[in-house]
Amino acid sequence: MCGLGIPLTAAFENIGKETQSGVWSEIFLECSRIMKEEHLSCGAAWRRVLSENNSLPLEDSDYMDLYDFGEMLGKSDRFNQEEVLELEKEKLSALESKAREALEVRGKLYRNLGALTGAAVVILLI
Amino acid sequence: MNKATSCANLEELINDYLPDRIKLAIKGMDIRFIREMEEIRVRAGLPLMGVFSGYDRFIGPNGVLSDNPGNGLIVSAQELRNLFYLLCEHSVYAYQEDICRGFITLRGGHRAGICGTVVYQDGRITGMKDISSVCIRLSKQMKGCAGEVVKSIIRGNQDIYNTLILSPPRCGKTTLLRDICRLISQGMESLNFRGLRTAVIDERSELAASFGGIPQNDLGPRTDILDGCRKKDGIEIMLRGMAPQVIIMDELGGQYDAEAVKMAWNAGVRIIATAHAFNLKDFKGRLGVGQLACGGEGFERIILLGMNNGKRWAKVLDADDNELSFLDQNGRMSDGFFRLHCHGLKVVGKAGGEAACSSKISGDNPES
Repeated sequence: MCGLGIPLTAAFENIGKETQSGVWSEIFLECSRIMKEEHLSCGAAWRRVLSENNSLPLEDSDYMDLYDFGEMLGKSDRFNQEEVLELEKEKLSALESKAREALEVRGKLYRNLGALTGAAVVILLI
Repeated sequence: MNKATSCANLEELINDYLPDRIKLAIKGMDIRFIREMEEIRVRAGLPLMGVFSGYDRFIGPNGVLSDNPGNGLIVSAQELRNLFYLLCEHSVYAYQEDICRGFITLRGGHRAGICGTVVYQDGRITGMKDISSVCIRLSKQMKGCAGEVVKSIIRGNQDIYNTLILSPPRCGKTTLLRDICRLISQGMESLNFRGLRTAVIDERSELAASFGGIPQNDLGPRTDILDGCRKKDGIEIMLRGMAPQVIIMDELGGQYDAEAVKMAWNAGVRIIATAHAFNLKDFKGRLGVGQLACGGEGFERIILLGMNNGKRWAKVLDADDNELSFLDQNGRMSDGFFRLHCHGLKVVGKAGGEAACSSKISGDNPES
């Protein structure tokens, strides 16, 4: 039915259950739950969950970047989604380097996020 | 599927998939119309429309039905886009193959046809953008509708005749085939008929309406389903791996279908299939598949379906065109067959239009 991909709700759930997901585990699981139960778009669910987790050590501009990322998920075909995820990975790598210089804790956070985005690419392509 | 299950399915469809204003409009409709509705048609910038038994009506913001397009809820392009994303579970990439085929199968067995700008790459369709309309075809499995017809196609207590169901579009071929499949697979104690291993090649995902690998319609306990598979490929796969006694498929007519059916017959497997045709002569004239109904080694039973003046009829013929049985709404078929599309006419009263097929089948009308 779903061909070569699985819907975002299932992909998020899979990521959330991964042990290395760290602080992002709850975020992905909650996002999946909201999308499933309230039939919200990924962008809306992602934004809501992130804004409710405003204790994350992120700058406002980081949140904005993440909101934009959520908005783009699920809205296009596989080819375009791969491009979106590739771009996001590049952006996160750059942020990670910047954060590493500033603060080790944030560096860890970005590294987690980078790894998870990579995992999302794999999941979408399975 | 009984009425309660069918309504629960419909409720789920309305709640899970429809954007707010469309949801409100549908929920505002009289429950009798909701039950009888066959399709919901949503077009960008145009009024919301419901299709009932052979006629359609525009649906107002509060669910009032009207002949006047001006009274219908005008659906915006944004709402249509939202509907499309909801149908795809907000994961367009995951439904890419379905979108390229022109429809998405939904939970509950419903099906959404999609129109928009088709995207080609290297000569093949790779997607669709700028969605312009969606047609949600509501699934209504009619358990028991084949109860009478099936008596004419069973041979002894563990065999059936190769059977072809013919009718113009929208006369209930697929619904009848689905129920025949269920009965052949589960067996019928009253006829001392044992169930047969049945394989379904569900090329257009209409028979089983599988969602995530789970058939949304009951096709019987001895049924294996190949979803989204071309008939020729499907028959080969089934013969190789599943040892079916009967293969069931919808809408014969493709270039290689005749060869595929013969391949199954050569393996001793019975076939039950449907095809679009106004009568047997029409089908026999078809290039390729027409020869399958020309007596001898071909289909042994032909079921013709039609509707005239809002009344359904079914006629069973043998391979030589001899009529074996005739069933009509006033006669023996009272077990559900005539519930296919029919009672919308009673409910609406002044509904007017006849079923889609009625004008075309006048030549076949046994009453005329």
